[in-house]
Amino acid sequence: MNGRSGLVTFFLFLFLLVMIVLQFLSMIQSDRLYERLNVILDRLARMRSVNMTTAREQGKSSGPQTDQYPGDEGDWLVWCLSGEPTTLYGILTSSNWSTRWIVSGNIFESLITYELDAFEYKGQLADDFSISENGLEIYFKLKDDIHFSDGTPITTDDVIFTYETITNPGIDAASYANYFRDIDHYEKINDKEIKFHMKRPYFLSLGFLGGMPIHPRHIYEFEDPQDFNKRRTNPMGSGPYAFEKWDVGRQIVLTRNENYWDKKPKTEKIVYKFITNDIAALQALETGDVDYLRPVPDLFTEKSQDEEFRKRFHCLSYWDAGNTGYFWIGWNQARPFFADRTVRLAMTHMVDRKAIRDYILRNPEAKIPTGPFYIHGPQSDPSIEPWPYDPERTRQLLDEAGWVDSDGDGIRDKDGVPFIFRYMIVSGVYLHEQIAKLVKDSAAQVGIEVILEPFEWSVFSERAKNRQFDAVSMAWGGNVESDPYQIWHSSQIEGHGSNMVGFNNAQADALIEEARQTMDKDKRNALYHRFHRIIHQQQPYTFIYTRPEQRFLDKRFANVKIHLLGTDMHEWHVPLEKQKYK
Amino acid sequence: MTTYIVRRLLLIIPTLLGITIMVFAVSRVAPGDPVSLAMGPGGQLDAERAADVREARMRLYGLDKPVHVQYWVWLKRITRLDFGDSIKYHRPVIELIKVKLPITLMLNIIAFVIIYAVSLPLGVLTAVKHKQFLDRASSVALFMLWSLPSMWVGQMLIGYLCGPTFFNWFPPAGLSSNYAEQLAFFPWLGDRLWHLVLPVTCLTYAGFAYLTKQVRAGMLDSLRADYVRTARAKGLSNTVVIFRHAFRNSVIPVITIMATLLPAMLAGSVIIERIFSIPGMGLLAFEAVTTRDYNVVMAVATIGGVLNLAGLLLADIAYAIADPRISFESTV
Repeated sequence: MNGRSGLVTFFLFLFLLVMIVLQFLSMIQSDRLYERLNVILDRLARMRSVNMTTAREQGKSSGPQTDQYPGDEGDWLVWCLSGEPTTLYGILTSSNWSTRWIVSGNIFESLITYELDAFEYKGQLADDFSISENGLEIYFKLKDDIHFSDGTPITTDDVIFTYETITNPGIDAASYANYFRDIDHYEKINDKEIKFHMKRPYFLSLGFLGGMPIHPRHIYEFEDPQDFNKRRTNPMGSGPYAFEKWDVGRQIVLTRNENYWDKKPKTEKIVYKFITNDIAALQALETGDVDYLRPVPDLFTEKSQDEEFRKRFHCLSYWDAGNTGYFWIGWNQARPFFADRTVRLAMTHMVDRKAIRDYILRNPEAKIPTGPFYIHGPQSDPSIEPWPYDPERTRQLLDEAGWVDSDGDGIRDKDGVPFIFRYMIVSGVYLHEQIAKLVKDSAAQVGIEVILEPFEWSVFSERAKNRQFDAVSMAWGGNVESDPYQIWHSSQIEGHGSNMVGFNNAQADALIEEARQTMDKDKRNALYHRFHRIIHQQQPYTFIYTRPEQRFLDKRFANVKIHLLGTDMHEWHVPLEKQKYK
Repeated sequence: MTTYIVRRLLLIIPTLLGITIMVFAVSRVAPGDPVSLAMGPGGQLDAERAADVREARMRLYGLDKPVHVQYWVWLKRITRLDFGDSIKYHRPVIELIKVKLPITLMLNIIAFVIIYAVSLPLGVLTAVKHKQFLDRASSVALFMLWSLPSMWVGQMLIGYLCGPTFFNWFPPAGLSSNYAEQLAFFPWLGDRLWHLVLPVTCLTYAGFAYLTKQVRAGMLDSLRADYVRTARAKGLSNTVVIFRHAFRNSVIPVITIMATLLPAMLAGSVIIERIFSIPGMGLLAFEAVTTRDYNVVMAVATIGGVLNLAGLLLADIAYAIADPRISFESTV
């Protein structure tokens, strides 16, 4: 190394050193700027809250505002979601359950919604609504003084815009649009009143139309449907919360809509954090990173028995009427084994569903359903009792049906066909795997061999669609009131319909068709009770369980009530001394 | 040298083409497609209507054309660096990747630096103390670390170090706290580093064993070499012999490893990102595969392929620079 290169190296290092020092100084400077900015923001926030209180006081003096949620204003509610939504537009087919959790009722509101404590509709944006006796006319009248979060009044034009967007063939909302194909045309009476005319009566039409999330026309109007299809974020509606931001992969933040037309919730922000790992989610709850969590069933059972944990968290277990589905095993009636009702009945007697509830699901509040309707809802016949667990009866029924072990190999057979069936489940779901193993064991005890076929979801749905299974287990979602047509009508067997077990019963078909067109609630529910009993007798499925929602919620939230329809987070609040975020 | 590099660059084109054809074919042969996956096996729609919906959506995503046509369309787009739209997110794939790639790169580069910072000195040390206690103890320890699956370790770390039940030392998920936006720069940096400790730990520990072993083996070879004996005979100090003579020569294999370690770590971060809820490329790729989001799968595979090939090329060039005995001119 000669002298010159030494000098160059020296200068190079000097230069580097200077750069590092400069970088450090600039970092300190930006640090100081940040703190200054925070002080200013703090001051602004305080000024705003002072303004708000004065405005509130003025409001009080000017008129009685008894319609207020109780409690103190402020604080955030941090939800933990196990997955990120793909879009915040619930009408698009690409939306999922997390989309609905985030936007519906918070950002977008509908014309009508269910009462919290009765299976009845109440107006949300609509003041008045009705369905004519013949079911062919549906009428809505909007409330006065309702507006979107930007202050624009809501009119029937927005209702029409929403309806036309959903039914536009270019919009990727085909599954949603399907609900509206019984509508013939609409008739705008004036800015506040609208009437829809139906092609045929259908009892769910009122709920479908009234349940549309009303989108502001002046924001979303489009020329090319693709522009709407590409929408993903920045939703704007009329609800009590407004969209603040979406940090992709991390969180979605909603801020209270200070311009809300109805009574405002007390919580200032709702943050939806995405945590993909169950264990990590529980840890995040315990360390206070998140406030609200839907735990995996095992964790709920374990944690809700822990005294220390109960002191810090509400362990909520409640029936969410609008979302309670059921888990079932379906018997493919196109197979020689399950075409016979006696064999299906034998299968139901074979599965110890109480054991599944107590030892696999570990949820003592879960119920064994007897039919496809929401178990506490009006369509379900509460007098029907589930078939008991009785392996002896299973053996009897199988003998009766002619399935006996004629060749002494330990497996029953009939006409030379051994009773060996393939049972398809979704792979990787612990709960389903455990249930499947129990079924396999129980079957072995009565002389039936079960071959378990776990498939990844995409393969599973493909095979289910093509009826490539002997038995299958899955869960259907539910609602307060549902129409059994898609799953149970015989027209839905062909062409990849949802009647994948091939249930074909003329009497059931007739009941389904009649009930759809019966507007009188009591008459309709009587028809559904009869349909329910046929399903119970025929056992196309063995209904395994239906269960309440389970949630953990930080105890600093007060006024947490459980209603007939579930919970309502808008009525929760955090007392001032316990508030954590500002 | 230049001709070699040009040749290698030209070779990259058919290789990449091969990779994309393979990935494209495999993704389409796999059962299921994004539309039926989104629609599930039924439910709300009746049969006749479901078929219509399905057809409309297939058309919307361009999946109604024959597979080879779809590939051709994709290839034409890719020449303009357009990766198409994500089916799941309805937005350009490139936008998704722009957000997610930096996160994964950050994670892996930090892990990379730590692996090298620990393994190089440790490898040299164990080689120098060959067959002594330190060498044996570290061998056993590293081998044990290497055998631990990171999926399990991640889960254990979250279970024991991230909650009030045992030790509440680290955050269990994500890259920053709820209040991170309100923090000044240094507290923010601290918060970020605090979140990075566990994921980076999971990404690094297995690498220690591998790289240390390589460095150690290289060092042992060099230490036995004639020129080291000569250097010692000249009376040079031990430090000079080890670092100037032996270490320099044993560093060559370590460079090639760099090229193979990077892709392996990118693959590994799929698992780590899922466990620690880190929104990086790994999680994106995982979701894309399970939801059959073809354009995203293709984009991730292509970018991964380019990174790998570039890594290999750089390693070869670095090889030639580090070791004058290697000349490509004669072999090409």
